[in-house]
Amino acid sequence: MGLGLERVAKRFGQVTAVEALDLDVATGELFTLLGPSGCGKTTALRVVAGIYPADAGRVLLDGADITRTPMHRRGMAMVFQTYVLFPHLSVFDNVAFGLRSRRVGRREIRERVAAALALVRLEGLAERYPSQLSGGQQQRVALARALVVRPALLLLDEPLSNLDARLRDEMRAEIRALQRRLRITTVLVTHDIQEAFALSDRIGVMRAGRLEQVGSPAEIYRRPANRFVAHFVGPVTELRLRGVETVDGRARATLEGGLTAWVDARTARPDGLLLLRPEAVRLHVPEGAAENRYSARIEDVVYLGAETECRVVVGGTLVVAKLPSIAAAGLRQGDEVAIGWDPADAVVTHAV
Amino acid sequence: MLSSRMRSEPWRAAPFLLPLLALLAAWFVWPLAQALTNSLHPNTPQGIDAGQWTLANYARIADPLYAGVVVRTLRISALVTAISSLLVYPVALATTRLGPRREALAILAYVSPWLVNTLVKALGWNLLLRPTGLVNAALGEIGAGPLRLMLNETGVVIALIPGHFMFVLLPVWAALKGLDPALGWAAGTLGASRAGVFWRVLFPLTLPALIAGLAINFIMNTTAFAIPMLLGGLRNETASMLAYRVNLVMLDWPFGGAVAVVLLVFTLLLVWGGQRIATLAVPGPRA
Amino acid sequence: MIAAVNALVLAFVLAPIVLVVWMSFTPAAFFALPTGQFSLRWYREALSYPGFVDAFFLSLELAALAAVLALAAAFLAAYGLVRFRPPGSGALTALFLSPLLVPAVVFGIAMLQFVNRIGLYNSLFGLVLAHAVIVCPYAMRSLEVTLRAVPEEMEWAAMVLGPNRMATLVRVTLPLCARGLLTAFLFCFLLSFSDVTVTIFMAGPSLQTLPVRLYTYMSDRVDPTVAAVSSMVVLITLALVLLAALLGGVRRLVTR
Repeated sequence: MGLGLERVAKRFGQVTAVEALDLDVATGELFTLLGPSGCGKTTALRVVAGIYPADAGRVLLDGADITRTPMHRRGMAMVFQTYVLFPHLSVFDNVAFGLRSRRVGRREIRERVAAALALVRLEGLAERYPSQLSGGQQQRVALARALVVRPALLLLDEPLSNLDARLRDEMRAEIRALQRRLRITTVLVTHDIQEAFALSDRIGVMRAGRLEQVGSPAEIYRRPANRFVAHFVGPVTELRLRGVETVDGRARATLEGGLTAWVDARTARPDGLLLLRPEAVRLHVPEGAAENRYSARIEDVVYLGAETECRVVVGGTLVVAKLPSIAAAGLRQGDEVAIGWDPADAVVTHAV
Repeated sequence: MLSSRMRSEPWRAAPFLLPLLALLAAWFVWPLAQALTNSLHPNTPQGIDAGQWTLANYARIADPLYAGVVVRTLRISALVTAISSLLVYPVALATTRLGPRREALAILAYVSPWLVNTLVKALGWNLLLRPTGLVNAALGEIGAGPLRLMLNETGVVIALIPGHFMFVLLPVWAALKGLDPALGWAAGTLGASRAGVFWRVLFPLTLPALIAGLAINFIMNTTAFAIPMLLGGLRNETASMLAYRVNLVMLDWPFGGAVAVVLLVFTLLLVWGGQRIATLAVPGPRA
Repeated sequence: MIAAVNALVLAFVLAPIVLVVWMSFTPAAFFALPTGQFSLRWYREALSYPGFVDAFFLSLELAALAAVLALAAAFLAAYGLVRFRPPGSGALTALFLSPLLVPAVVFGIAMLQFVNRIGLYNSLFGLVLAHAVIVCPYAMRSLEVTLRAVPEEMEWAAMVLGPNRMATLVRVTLPLCARGLLTAFLFCFLLSFSDVTVTIFMAGPSLQTLPVRLYTYMSDRVDPTVAAVSSMVVLITLALVLLAALLGGVRRLVTR
């Protein structure tokens, strides 16, 4: 059950914003659509909400086809990036808005609004107006307004983008706690990788209207489906493959520049790209401690606070490593150091 | 460093302001003041008696002879404003839903009639509403009886509606365009139907603009001249027609001045009142 | 449904004008919709009627003079307000815009009584000034916007090179405001050309502008001649409006 999208498409004139989107969100799951601006994630969210009618495909909620259902009957609730509180209504009336649409009784409205405001820790501000609230407070009101109607599906459009850094971390934790507690099926849209990773059960990475990969945060990070996804979620070193051969049942690849490395047999391909996350590259690796071990020369050491980035050259190829600064003490430019990584920590994808 | 001739000292504005000030002072403020003073003197067969001061001219307006004019003017104006207020939202909403180019054209279409001479429009309505006019001819085709649509208040009302519609439409349309489209989406996802979105969100937020527009519309209605004269006829005298008769036919300028002053005061009160009500209608915290 | 209401109201608003233009082409001697036969008979009639032709040229002259006068005065005043920001700008602006608050009827009465008093009844001079007063708020509003769009630095740059403020105004500022000035001129011209009420009240017998002529004619009888004259007026109006709109100025001028 939960939310299902079947080949949903949305066009604006000549531009296709969303193309044949297939998606399944389980009940109670928090699913994030992640991608750069213009990738269609917000459009997709609006199609789910019913703001834009789908040009093709179906939208299903808990098994029912709601593709043609008008937005005010879908039983969802949405929190907008700019909160969009009704300026002419008090906080109380803002939160009560959805309940009044559903003809809930006066006493019940009072109780539920109070409960919703308590949930987002805004008790006592019921009589204020949006213009009198700070950004963080407005966002909580927007959340309360959405949660109070007990929606079957909660939609969050870049909920943290308009907040400053400290508030962002705070709200992120709160949203996560709330969602876990209430177990509302949630779809979140963002371009912020940290936000997506911290909040989501699963992530769908989008580009130019299509889903590039769907998976848990760990899957997306450690097993990116292609170059785009790999680069989008974090820095990565690319090493081009020249060929792969099987040796003793294991896969060994020849890299551009002449290096050879053991690679994961499941992903190996002769014309692919080896993707190496900086933290997967270990320094000061003793003999036998890594399947791939090389002698490298340090080209640059960049101190970043908690971590240190170390740029090394191995056989003419540049590899970027990142390690906790504590472990990087004493490293200097020009030093020779042993680096290494295990095939399981790297992945090969096609060079597109 | 700015040289002395480049420094923008405020008093250097004086020579620039002078021409317009002179024009307005001499040909606007002074004549109005004169009309006011005229109205405070009695009229005699030999002309205005500037020696005596009186309020009799104003008292005359309360005369039952002229009270009918006042009532008729207000009645017609109220009717036109009321009908316009019903039409403005459908039109404004429909206009905002057009694509940008069509929208600009639509606004132009609504505004340009205002720039066309009133007499042209009066003629057009004459052709439409007279006993042998287009409307009655069309009714005749389907066998319906001829309607008396001219030389009565009905004709005046019908003709005034489109003439002054723009004054309500523009403020409301501008207010609607100024609203965040996401407001409608927020309301919609929270369960408000299209009608609900309008009454609970769009209407309250555009109400001040509506009130301001209706006030102006009402003023234009009460002070209209050509249309009531040509479509209503002499037997349906409105305020402006009375002003015409008093000033140009009866040549009773003190009384005419009084009529002018009363109309002006009425207008200013309405503008002020409209703004006050509009401010009160602005929703939000009572600061 | 809403679109239907919109279409209806639009038709309602445009109907009289469209009808007049259509009717002016009727070949018949009375008012009948020309179905098939279009005739320019009434146009020829209107053009050969000296009253209308004279009135037309008088209106043109009047409108041109009033517009130029209003524009000059308003431009200088707007310049003074925008560049020098004198104390009391708010009150001054309110004063300059105050003719908008006074109904045409009231102003017409005041004008009538005033010009008679000072012996300028039936004079073009008095009428031109009156029209200038009527249109100057519109000119003022439009020119204020236009002038604000010209950065003050431009004038400083010019003045550093030699010319004083007046010369700068003429050689630098004015050309930069050309578009805005033209739009304002067209608008003021149109407003003066279309003025009915004030002119009827204060114009004397030898100042028969086109609207006044139309009015006297129409109070007497209504025949296709007047329709022909009217549609020519409509044509001119539309042409000027389109011109002004193309120059980008209509919306700005019209919002209160």
